Parts: sequence; C-alpha cells; structure tokens
Amino acid sequence: MNDERKQRAEDAAFADSALRALPSVPVPAALEARILADFDAIAAQLRRGALSRLLRRWQNLIWPGAPLWKPASVLALSLIIGLTAGVLVPSTTLSGEQTVSSPSYDTAEALEMSGEL
Amino acid sequence: MKFDPDAEFVARVGKGDRAAAQALMVRHLPKMLSLARRMLSDQAEAEDCVQEAFLRLWTHGARWKPGRARFETWLYRVTLNQCYDRLRRKPATALDVAAEVPDPAPGADAALQGAAVAAEVEAALGELPERQRAAIVLCHYQERGNIEAAEMMGVSVEALESLLARGRRTLRTRLSHLREG
Repeated sequence: MNDERKQRAEDAAFADSALRALPSVPVPAALEARILADFDAIAAQLRRGALSRLLRRWQNLIWPGAPLWKPASVLALSLIIGLTAGVLVPSTTLSGEQTVSSPSYDTAEALEMSGEL
Repeated sequence: MKFDPDAEFVARVGKGDRAAAQALMVRHLPKMLSLARRMLSDQAEAEDCVQEAFLRLWTHGARWKPGRARFETWLYRVTLNQCYDRLRRKPATALDVAAEVPDPAPGADAALQGAAVAAEVEAALGELPERQRAAIVLCHYQERGNIEAAEMMGVSVEALESLLARGRRTLRTRLSHLREG
C-alpha cells in the first residue's frame, strides 16, 4: 500500500517536471481581433433583435395577434387617403373673401373701451 | 455562495458591453488557449476551438446564472467539450507531433535540447486518452486543484484522481528515457 502511494507520488512529481518543459502558448493579436469581431457581430444582432421585439410589442398593443403587415398596411392606407384628400378636396373656408376677421385693438372704439376700464 | 469575479462582466456582456467582453477575453484567453493547444497539439485548431468557445459565451452568456457554478468553470467546460468534439472528428495526430521531434545530436545547444524534450512531452501527452490528457493538463500544466479540475471536466473528484493516476503512470513510462538521461 505504501509502495503504491510512493509510486503515485513519484508519478505526480514526474508529471509536474515533464509538463514544466512545455513552453507557454503565446496569444496572437489576430485571434483577439477575431474574437472581438465575433462579439461585435453578435451585439449588433442582439440590438436588431431588441428593436424588432419593441416593434412587435407596439403592434400587439395596437392590433393583438395580427401579423405586422396588417397594422402597417392600415396605417399606409390611411396616410394615402389623408394626403389625397388634402391635395384634391378644395378648401372652402379661406378661398375668395376673408371670412374671419382678426380683431383690431387700435381702433377708436377699442381705445374708448380701454379708457372706460 | 462564493464570490465570482466574472459575474458582473458576464452580465454586462449580455447587455452588449464591449469593454466587459474585452476584459473577460484578456482574463481567460491565455489559459483557454494553452489548454486547447495542449489538448489538440495544433495551434490553428486550438485557436479555432477557443474562438468557438468565446462565440458560445457571446451568444449564450446572458443566460448564465451566477450561483450554480463559477463562470470560469463553465467556460473551461465549454472549451474542453470543443476540444473533445474536434479530437473525435479528426484522426490522432500524435505521430505527426512525434515526427517533429528534433534529433538531439551531440553538441546540440541547451535550447535545442529543451525544444526536443518539450516536443517529446507533447507527443507523449498527445497519445494519452482525451480525458486523461485533460486531467493532466488541468492539474499539472495549469496547476488547478482536484476539485476545480473535476468540476471543469464534469466528473467526480474520485474519477479525476483515477484519470490522473493512469495518465501520470503512462506519461512516466513513455518518457522514462528522459528521466534516465
């Protein structure tokens, strides 16, 4: 039993000294650059993912359960209708004569009134 | 629960913090690379393996929860698993390594002899079964404790001790001529 233990201790000491002969492994700068480039790509992907999750949350508030194209197309249609109406339907209020007159505060009546106050 | 010096950095990496990613890389890359290099006996393979392990970290790091295992243990286990996968995919190259051993001619200088010894040790290490090799590299090259090494390998301490004993004995038998010389 003691022999076996002694043998094991010698094996361990030998392994220690043998592996000490191995040189250290240098880290190439190119490897560091590759690893960080991977990180940048993944981080960009995560940011895009976060934006699409935010859009989906809004879309679920507006029209729960519908695919994204439905609220998007309704919004686009309403914009087209609004713009078309704005361009084609003639305005009746401001054409021809002025219908709304702006009050004037420097007329004689106005000055008299302010004097009374 | 033990304090994990990496926990804060991992949380920041999950939020896309590049400085934290760089700090983690600077802290762990040298040891991960040397582990992979000794496991695979091939610098290019080792670099690919470590890059893959970091890719796993960037992708899944946000899901890592402190408390279960130390982050370093998880990262080394990922690296070791990458090494095992690569070793199973490719045929053993230990003979190639052995072929690179310079001939220790009489009069060769100390540096050359040192390189020859290193090449022989590397070749002998490369011929060990993968788990014995991992145990030897973690405990004798990286000077990890048995408990830590066992956690990194995902085995019990008893199993690690058994792997170590067999690995050391094989290594000593194969390199016995170095001891005599």
